Order: sequence, then C-alpha cells, then structure tokens
Amino acid sequence: MSVSQIFPKSLPVSSFFLAFRGISTTSSVCKNRKCGVPKVTPFRTHPLTYEEAQPPSKIYVTKGWLSWNTSNLYEEKRHAETTFEDLIIRKFMFGTWHGILASEVVIKRRHNMIVLAFLASMEHALQRQVYFLQGYTEELLTNWFKCPVKVELSAVSSKNDVIFKKI
Amino acid sequence: MASLHCRSSFLFTFHRPLTLNASLVTSLYRQLHTTSTFLSRSISTQNENKSIPINIETSESEEEFRVYEIEGLKKLTELKKSKRSLNQPSPPRSKTMPVDQDWTDVWPSASTFKWGTVPFPVRQGRILSSSENEGIVPSKYGNLELMKPPNFLHLTPSHIKKHCAVLKDFCTQWPQGLDTDEKCRRFFPLETKTSDYVFSAPSIRDDRARFASIKFYLSDLKLDYHARDKFIRLVGDRYNKKTDEVTFETGRCPLKSQNIEFLKFVFTVVYFESWKHEDWENSKELQDMEQYFWDLNASRKNCISLLKKIKTIDENKATESNRLDYLPSDILDEDTLCALPPIQDYKAAIEDLFNEGENFQTINKYKESVKSLLNIQENVSL
Repeated sequence: MSVSQIFPKSLPVSSFFLAFRGISTTSSVCKNRKCGVPKVTPFRTHPLTYEEAQPPSKIYVTKGWLSWNTSNLYEEKRHAETTFEDLIIRKFMFGTWHGILASEVVIKRRHNMIVLAFLASMEHALQRQVYFLQGYTEELLTNWFKCPVKVELSAVSSKNDVIFKKI
Repeated sequence: MASLHCRSSFLFTFHRPLTLNASLVTSLYRQLHTTSTFLSRSISTQNENKSIPINIETSESEEEFRVYEIEGLKKLTELKKSKRSLNQPSPPRSKTMPVDQDWTDVWPSASTFKWGTVPFPVRQGRILSSSENEGIVPSKYGNLELMKPPNFLHLTPSHIKKHCAVLKDFCTQWPQGLDTDEKCRRFFPLETKTSDYVFSAPSIRDDRARFASIKFYLSDLKLDYHARDKFIRLVGDRYNKKTDEVTFETGRCPLKSQNIEFLKFVFTVVYFESWKHEDWENSKELQDMEQYFWDLNASRKNCISLLKKIKTIDENKATESNRLDYLPSDILDEDTLCALPPIQDYKAAIEDLFNEGENFQTINKYKESVKSLLNIQENVSL
C-alpha cells in the first residue's frame, strides 16, 4: 500500500508524518529475517554438518526430523510434555557429552522407551570415558523420566569427518 | 542431618585406609631394596606413584651400581606409545565379520543404524554442488540421516523364521467347524469391538481405550412381532434397518471390561423388556398401528360379507361353472373362512400394497389374488 493510496494530495503534510508514527496495521514482510540458516563467512571457513547445511524448510525433504514421537499426530496427547522433555534431554546431552557430540541428538520414542542416537567424536575422548558417559546418561535420564532411556551412539574418529560443507 | 553426617564420616574413613595402603606398599618396596636403601628412599619420597616401577627395574638390572635418574631428563617414550594405542579405535565390525555368519546374531532386535556393523554400502543425503561433501553423496560413515528413521534390519526373513518358530508353541489349531464367515457368525452371534491405543509415552493407559461396542443381528434373537417391534422402538437409531444389525456402544464406565459387562446387561434388559406386555399397550388403536393389518381393518369385514353374499346367491341361482369352488358347502365362522388359501393370498396382497407401496409387483399380486378370490375368468366381458 503506497503513500498516495493512504493520503490524497489535498491533505496537509503534517498528517503524513502523524500517520507514520502510528501503529502499522499492514502485515510485515520479514523478508530479511531468517532462522536456522547460518551466515556465510568471508573466506568460507565455517564448517557445517549435513544437518546444519540443510535449512529448516528442507525438513522431510532432504533431512529427517530430530524428534520421533507420536505426540504431534492428530488427536494425540502429551505435546507439551514431550517437547519439554526433549528440550531437557538436549540440554543435558550438550553439557554431559561436551566436546564429544559430533552431531545433533536424535530422540526416538518407541512405546515408553526413549532412544538417543547421535555421533560421538573419539578425538578427545577415551573409550572408557564414552562407556561411562553412556551408562551415566542412561541411568540419570531413566530415573528422571521414569522410563527406559537407551543411548545408541555411533563413533567417528574426528569432528572433521562429519563436515559436509564450509561456508 | 544425622545420616548425612554418617555418610561423610564413612567417606572419610574410606579414604584414609587408601592412603595408608599406598604408604604400606611403598614401605614394602623400600624393604625389598636392602642394598641401596638410601637412594631409593630419596627418590621415592619425591614422586611416589610414578617412580616406583622404574626403581624396581633399575634395581633388578643394575644391582651393583645404581644410576641416579633425574626426572624429566630422559624421555618416557614407551609409556606415551601405550597411551596412544588405547585411543585408537578397533576396525569396524563389518570388515572383520565372516560372510556366512548368522545376521540375527549381529542384529537381534530393533536398533539404530550403526555404520560400523552394517556390511553393505549405503549412501544417504542430497548434494547440490561440488562444494558439498566434495560432490559425493554422503556415505554411511558418520551419517546421521541414516540413524534417524526406523530400519528393518531386525526383521529380515531369517529373523521372522526364528520368531515364528518360537511363537509356534503358543499357537492352537483353528476350530474345524468354523471354516466360513457365515458359520462364525452363526455360532458366535455376538460381536464385541474394543480398541487399544499404541503411542509413545511413559504410561500405557489411554482413556479412549475404555470405549466398547457390541453388535448382533436382530434376526438371531427369538422375538415375536410385538417383541421385535418393541425392541426396535427401544433401541432407536442403534438398529440398522438395512443390515438388520443392532449396535450398542458406550464409554460411561472407566474400564473397558466394565463397559463390555454393562453393554451385555443392557442387551439382556432390552430383550426381556421387549417381551413384556404393559397395560397401556392394549389401548393401541387402529390409528396407532405402525403398518397396515388386514385383520384389523374394514377390508376384512367387507371381504367376509361379500363372500357370504356370494355364497347365498350361489346356492340359489348360480350354475355349477360360475360358483366359487373353494367355499365349503356348510356355514363357517369367520376365522376358518379367513384361513382359506385364496383369502390368505388376498390378505397378503393387500398388506403388501399398503406397507410396501404401489409398484408393479404388488399391484400384479393384488390383481391375481382378486381374480382367484372372486373366480373372475379371463374371457369375461364387461
């Protein structure tokens, strides 16, 4: 909607300024705002995994979901609980497996079981550390969520192995 | 607080013997080195844990003269090497396992995709240009996309064979007489329907699972005309006229079994209620009838009076050929007269005409019944 449409030429100039200080009732375009799409660095040095390289609009097209559950299906329950539990799990995993996580955590729920699948980088971790953290994670999360939690991780030798592209 | 205090004191006592033991061990080592007690003591007190094994080696190899080793001067290359070997991963299982192995042992149950275990090459992902993953579709190594969806590696034909072999002990033979659906329906007339809900949550309870329904065919029940009519009126829209099915459904009780029991109770009550004749049911008049009944209507009276008139005329005047053959010679009461076949046909034709409506079949039937009732010949001229 242009200015001439709102104000005919006969109106005084003061009303022109008044109107633009007021509340805009037209819907905003937001064409410069985006989330989940990382910015390109000057020398294209920032590494991205496959998960990060695909924008959120490509979920279910080129990449799958990170949370697999039935709560968001039609007429199902526990939307809020499941989402909040997923949030806690991701926070916990980020802190507990700090420096070892080479990917996002895939949270899969089967019946009452929660399966956590992710890639662990063995660059700075010993095998026994990983085994300990696995048991630690399973034990704590099982007690908190009152349901069996299983950690099904795959190891990669370095975080460089999961680099998909550099931007 | 008391328990906390006890716990902390226990921890304290737990730690102290450890330190005592360590000092005991060092003193034992000290006792071994009887020849050079001074040197070994002076070294071991500086760094107890690390220098002990080196001391033993030197004391064993050079018993005559011991070299004073300044720590940090000589590089400990061997120890570092052993640490590195710990960190190196073993080769992936898919490269070491034999070709003719049993896959069910490798992948016994549902599990996330493991790149190191799955023996076949598989790729997943999309690339747009050569800048992405060097222009190659990502392989299975470190591929999160393959770990996301559920896979069927635990449901191969050999898995299914094993499952069936185990489950076979729990299976029974199908009953011999029930080979068709019609027989199943005849021997098990009551059909119960319930639902179970499978979803991902810590609890298996779902309040939608309490709903239950029973279904049966109205023709399977022993009902006379009045009871059947009353049954249909009682159940209302639960009766499907097209399929002759009655369906009861409820979710008023909290449990599924309670709801099934309630439905069976309701079914029993409705059945016996429909057989009851209440006093007010006798005050039903001709206008209240839900369909046409010949016996209650004026058509019966007219028909009987007509037949009686015909009979008197027949006896007096008519020739043998024009008489109604089916009428007996002696005088009859009305009920036995109505039981005669032409009159029964006429009754059925009229009831069909009123209840079903006028169509070719009912009108033709009516025509034929009237012709036989009154013995109307084809060649009669009006």
